[in-house]
Amino acid sequence: MPTILFNLGLAFMTSMMGLSLQRSHLISALLCLEGMMLTLFLMLTTWATEQQSSLLFSALMMLLTLSACGAGTGLSLLVTTTRTHGSSNMNNLNLLQC
Amino acid sequence: MIETQWITPINTMMLASISILLYPLMADTLFKTSMKMQARTAVKYAFFSTLATLIMFINLGMEINTTHINLISSTNFNVGLSFKFDYFTLMFCPTALFVTWSIMDFAKWYMAHDQEVNKFFKYLLIFLLAMLTLVSSNNLFQLFIGWEGVGIMSFLLIGWWRTRGEANTASMQAIIYNRLGDIGFILTLAWTGTNVASWELDQLFMLKPFDTLPLLALVLAAAAKSAQFGMHPWLLGAMEGPTPVSALLHSSTMVVAGIFLLIRLHPMMEDNELTRTTCLLLGAISTFMTAMCALTQNDIKKIIALSTASQLGLMMTTIGLNQPNLAFLHMCLHAFFKSKLFICSGIISHNLSNEQDIRKMGGIHKTMPITSSCFTIGNLALAGIPFMTGFYSKDAIIETMNSSTLNLGALLLTMAATVMTAAYTTRLIFLVQTGPPRHYPMQKITEDKTLSNAILRLSLGSIAIGPISAMTLDQTQTLPTTVTTLIKLSALGATMMGIFVSLIFIHKNKQNRPQKNNLSTFSNMLTFYSSLTHRSPTTHLLKKAQKVSTTLNDATWYEYSVPKFFSKTQLKMSKALSFLAQGKVKTYLAVFTMSLMTLIILTT
Repeated sequence: MPTILFNLGLAFMTSMMGLSLQRSHLISALLCLEGMMLTLFLMLTTWATEQQSSLLFSALMMLLTLSACGAGTGLSLLVTTTRTHGSSNMNNLNLLQC
Repeated sequence: MIETQWITPINTMMLASISILLYPLMADTLFKTSMKMQARTAVKYAFFSTLATLIMFINLGMEINTTHINLISSTNFNVGLSFKFDYFTLMFCPTALFVTWSIMDFAKWYMAHDQEVNKFFKYLLIFLLAMLTLVSSNNLFQLFIGWEGVGIMSFLLIGWWRTRGEANTASMQAIIYNRLGDIGFILTLAWTGTNVASWELDQLFMLKPFDTLPLLALVLAAAAKSAQFGMHPWLLGAMEGPTPVSALLHSSTMVVAGIFLLIRLHPMMEDNELTRTTCLLLGAISTFMTAMCALTQNDIKKIIALSTASQLGLMMTTIGLNQPNLAFLHMCLHAFFKSKLFICSGIISHNLSNEQDIRKMGGIHKTMPITSSCFTIGNLALAGIPFMTGFYSKDAIIETMNSSTLNLGALLLTMAATVMTAAYTTRLIFLVQTGPPRHYPMQKITEDKTLSNAILRLSLGSIAIGPISAMTLDQTQTLPTTVTTLIKLSALGATMMGIFVSLIFIHKNKQNRPQKNNLSTFSNMLTFYSSLTHRSPTTHLLKKAQKVSTTLNDATWYEYSVPKFFSKTQLKMSKALSFLAQGKVKTYLAVFTMSLMTLIILTT
């Protein structure tokens, strides 16, 4: 059991590092974000199996749905930035200026 | 057997002479034209007054100290206005006033076309008063007042033609060199003030033996004022002033103030061997080097100025030999012929349209007979020809030197200087006066009657005062009485050798070819002393001072250490921090990652 947790935690950390250290492509950052969501899903699955509670499975489904919505929002943002900035370079993104 | 009834006349006549000299200074502003007195007349009357006191002194041998007012009186320290009329004062004052009388006659003719001629005479009178204060003071404070007074008047008079750049530079140089000596004087004043608690000369002489420090400081003061070797350039630059100034200040009275100080304070110095040796060697070196420089100069005033410096070195040597009376005698006798030499050179150069180069003079002895004969007499007296005035003091000095145990170097240097003195005086006589005239033609050469009377008076002094003073004044120190024939004739032999060698060279170089060898250049450029010491030490000093004051003090402490330091570091830090506020996404992502990882690590 701890082995699985360790693996999943390491996967989460790696995805997070990939998200924060990404400089050139927004797509890769979104992919890492999805990776983080996936590991969260797997961790929640593991916990739900442990706790033998069926209420958690519905929360699990909600997590998956929301992750898909988030991915969709992210992709639309990608399209918008490509329209305005010309490329999806992460260095170009500035919160003070669209 | 002191007859006290003579105190009042001597006092009165001395103080009267000082008041007579004050009169022309004040009369211009106070009285109408009819009561004005000329400076020259005042000096003449003052001379006769002090001559009377000298005669009284010779008759009675009485010296007087008087104290009048207390300027500063505290518990143990009193400084007052006090006069000391002793042998030195009473002999010096008539000499100085006699010489000044003739110089005033000369100055009236020389400065006749000057616009500020009254101011000139007033400056000369103020100088004379300061000098008399110097010689008649009984405490060091009053002496210092006179000392500074003559320094200031020298500054004002050297820079008389103030639109001339060299005159201004020369007067600044004189002040700076005199100030260096004043350091020594003030050190002595401070030392005696704190250790002896009195500045009166009588009280200083009771305290023996003295420390070396104030005595060496005194020697420094005398060396700067009397243009000894390390501090002689100012005397040569002082020839920028008008010739009466050179004749009065820089030959007879002001430059001997340093020697006078040492003579007055000799009882303090007679036990201290270091001081005496310093005086001896300093005097020997300065007499030798300045005489060497005078051999190849071409400006008549510079030659006479260098001869003054040489004779001052001789006086300093005599003080080093523990013979202040001889030094004083030489001082007084030297005043006569040196001022006469300056006056004659002034007459000659003024008549030749201000030509001062001796290579461009000649044939004077036909056109200006009185002047040239007085010039010759002065030169012979300077060289020490037997039985002229210079002989009595100079020969006595050389005899004393030969028969005392002293440094061989000092002895040889002084004998060499005697030879060179004779040589350059002969050169002066021949180049200025004889031969065909080498000056510009059509000069208006006149010899005024008062002027001729003035230099004839001084010639009489140059010939007669020597024997008179040797016969009438008692020497309080024993001079050597028995010496071998060779030593007795050594001074005379040196003089004759100088004259003959000079004559040979003059006859040989009748074509006046320019000489170019190293020794003659060294001597002509005044041993390159000014070139070596005036530029590089001052440049380095000023640069260092600039470094300390501007770079260290101003720039570093006031700018870099606190204000700029803070601003620099704050700027760096704020630049680093402002990165966070630029709105870049990577900043936020990094913050997110960092905080999340920190939380995770902290909780596990």
